[in-house]
Amino acid sequence: MSSNRWLATGNYFTSYTEEQRVFATSLDRTVMCVFLCILFAWPLFFNVGNKYMLVIDNILVAVIAVIGLNLVTGFAGLISIGHAAFVGIGAYTVASFCRVLGDSHLVITHCWPLLIVLAGFMGALFGAIVGLPALRLKHLYLAIATLSFQMIFQWTINFMDFFDQGQTISVGRVFWVTGKVARKEHYLFWYYVILVVIVIVSFGVRNLLRTRYGRCLVAVRDNDRAADAMGMHPGLIKVYAFGLAGFCAGVAGALHAYLYRGVGFDSFTLHHSINYLAMAIVGGLGTLQGAFWGPLAIRVLDLQVERLSEWVGSHLTAATNLTTALRPLSFGLVIVLFLMFEPRGIANWWRIVRSYVKLWPFRY
Amino acid sequence: MSYFFQLVVSGIVVGSIYALSALGFVLIYKSSRVLNIAHGQIIAAGAFITYALTVWVGIPIYLSFGMSMIATFFLAMSVERIFLRRLIGEPIISVIMVTIGLMSILDGLIYLTPFGTENFSFPPYLPTTPITIGGVSISWTQLVGVIITFSMIAGFSWFFKKSTIGISMRAVSDDQMASMAIGISVPRVFGLAWAMAGLSAAAAGGIIGNITGLNFDTLHAFGIVVFPVVILGGLDSIQGAVVAGIIMGLIQQFASGYLDGNWGLNGTGEVMPYIILLIILLFKPHGLFGIHEIERV
Repeated sequence: MSSNRWLATGNYFTSYTEEQRVFATSLDRTVMCVFLCILFAWPLFFNVGNKYMLVIDNILVAVIAVIGLNLVTGFAGLISIGHAAFVGIGAYTVASFCRVLGDSHLVITHCWPLLIVLAGFMGALFGAIVGLPALRLKHLYLAIATLSFQMIFQWTINFMDFFDQGQTISVGRVFWVTGKVARKEHYLFWYYVILVVIVIVSFGVRNLLRTRYGRCLVAVRDNDRAADAMGMHPGLIKVYAFGLAGFCAGVAGALHAYLYRGVGFDSFTLHHSINYLAMAIVGGLGTLQGAFWGPLAIRVLDLQVERLSEWVGSHLTAATNLTTALRPLSFGLVIVLFLMFEPRGIANWWRIVRSYVKLWPFRY
Repeated sequence: MSYFFQLVVSGIVVGSIYALSALGFVLIYKSSRVLNIAHGQIIAAGAFITYALTVWVGIPIYLSFGMSMIATFFLAMSVERIFLRRLIGEPIISVIMVTIGLMSILDGLIYLTPFGTENFSFPPYLPTTPITIGGVSISWTQLVGVIITFSMIAGFSWFFKKSTIGISMRAVSDDQMASMAIGISVPRVFGLAWAMAGLSAAAAGGIIGNITGLNFDTLHAFGIVVFPVVILGGLDSIQGAVVAGIIMGLIQQFASGYLDGNWGLNGTGEVMPYIILLIILLFKPHGLFGIHEIERV
């Protein structure tokens, strides 16, 4: 395999170790490094308004949550209709610290990386608890268990005084080595933080999927009886999958809390759970790339729907609440159409484009 | 003590509506093994069609009640025909996710109408003074609702026991291959199951709309409370749905009657079904009447 990789029209693996590498070729590694450098450097050259930076940050937070959902729904094959509740667990972990200690206590402003990790572990804990019925049941019932967790979560937040009955609980500004993060730089600062978290999480997940602890998820999804015969414990693996998903969701929730400097009930409802599912489906279930394409596509769609309904609203005075109508309509259509016509999601389009370029001038 | 009986009465009223809502859900699950997450939206659609026909068009309520059942009959049938027919044979996970998408689509369509955001209530067409027996009162709408519910459930059970279509639907739920071999069209049965579910959903919606008023959130919530009910009753048992519906209604009323206001609790009636659901899933996952076919994998 010492031939020129730049001219190769495919990857030829001669050993399992080679096939299991994170980057198939050194070219891939270089491209990824350059891409990451661009991601980190571009805000220094372009002056982006806070409004757009918030949109970008929002997409990136959703990416982390969808990576988690993809682990449980895409790789382990268990539907989770309560993912927004797990994100909410993370956010309310931060919020409960704020309620107890006050929103600009030292713990919240200085130890935020610890809090984010703690939120992840809280999410993992709740994920594992909700996944417990998996020890006895198959996936249909688990979907119902996650749905009921979503309802219990909503009730808990809505009726408990400790969480201010779902009112927004404010979270203080954080400190960095250069001092307090200023209002102007807030979104830029969190862009970098979230980007670093995404890089850690996605490399972590990519590596996890190479090891036995990741491949067992796929084995259980494909055939749980065969997995059982191979010596795995499918029930425990499902609980573990929910734990992993909960961890990603918790981290995303904590980042969401810090990014918006507040935690409100409105961001973690059943609609958001369906949004996350839509993102995972549109991006492509069972692929890591899908977790990046999905939030991007859905958020862009969201913005376009908002613009469309504003445009229609300016022409028709009667249509005042068009956004509330068009948003679920478009999400639902996107979910259904993708499932019917492109169940492998946008990640599949990316694969087709990639192999076209790679094999050019030959046809695939 | 009359407080207790009052709770029992309102629990039976709510529970019978749960039973009727759960009935449609069980029908779909029984025949095609699909969890219909969009059931609440069909219930809501039925209620809104009834209201629109009664108040805006001016048709007598009993007639419009029947017409809305026919409308959702065809709505649910076309949903099955357009979206789910082509997914037969796909993994069950993607079929369920299609129903999640459908739920979102129907949400959007309902928000396009005034019903999505505003509250409506039916004009009174029954005596408004409640019937009171020994301190326990029940309103006329509730009484008529319960009577309609139980007669519908009786009608459905007759349909499944005696009629040819009902028997063929039971055959399909039992064994699809065998029923195909004796000449039953399985896709047609799937379509019919959806249509029947739509019909019963509209009936449930109409009754809820009359008792509680038309609010999309309330109606939509009925589609989700169906899950605890069917899990308690066993996912594929019609009698289970009826019994569990009434049990769930009683539990809910007792929870909100005795727990709310004590120990700083509030709205426990809303959350109790889900807590029970999680407990049942852990300890008795096949429910009260479900078939013990759950694999421990």
